[in-house]
Amino acid sequence: MLTLPSDLTQQIEQHGIDAYPYEGCGLLLGQHNETGNVVVAIRPMQNVWPVESEKPERFRIDEKEWLSAEFEAMHDGLDIVGIFHSHPDHPAMASPRDLAWASWPGYSYLITEIRGGKALANRSWQLSHDRSGFVEEEIAIVTIVVSS
Amino acid sequence: MSIIRIPTPLRQYAGGNASIDVNGGTVGEALGDLTTQYPDLRNHLYDGDQLRSFVNIYLNQEDIRYLDGADTALQGNETLLIVPSIAGG
Repeated sequence: MLTLPSDLTQQIEQHGIDAYPYEGCGLLLGQHNETGNVVVAIRPMQNVWPVESEKPERFRIDEKEWLSAEFEAMHDGLDIVGIFHSHPDHPAMASPRDLAWASWPGYSYLITEIRGGKALANRSWQLSHDRSGFVEEEIAIVTIVVSS
Repeated sequence: MSIIRIPTPLRQYAGGNASIDVNGGTVGEALGDLTTQYPDLRNHLYDGDQLRSFVNIYLNQEDIRYLDGADTALQGNETLLIVPSIAGG
């Protein structure tokens, strides 16, 4: 299960809207526990896919930016637990390209469907242990109440 | 003895460890020691005998592809990082 605070969900959706008609992307930061991945922060990233005309259907995260984010996360006592990206005018399902370029089981691949500039759905996927496909995971959107 | 930091999702294949002490005079030997200690890691790092295309190894924040690749020498007190290239569609 992927646990996602509601305010961060809105920020992820807004990032997808702002990137439209291109794919937007970023990192999910938090911890892994017995329930799965628990997100406490996000880091929007640039889509550095090298061919501009393909950015509505492709994304790529720069490795140096990833490394920088990883060091910052370590400093804050957090881990990179997943990647989010948007699918402009396509369902929030892991695509064949997502599978072809998938990294490791354990990362949550959160996909937001953006239609006509609006966020319609969020679905999250994890690569299976045998790397043969993506398996959908439940998303728990939680509201964080800060006590005074 | 060098250290390889294990990315969060790979720790499930490495006994839950965030870093592993490895032996080896080169990066390739160090990675070989890692996958000997934790064989379940191999399928997620290698495709056959080659590192998977999305797997990048950093030594002192430098991609080993821009050093001597798997033959990059280790003095024995370095930290290696495994960094994925993330792309999709």
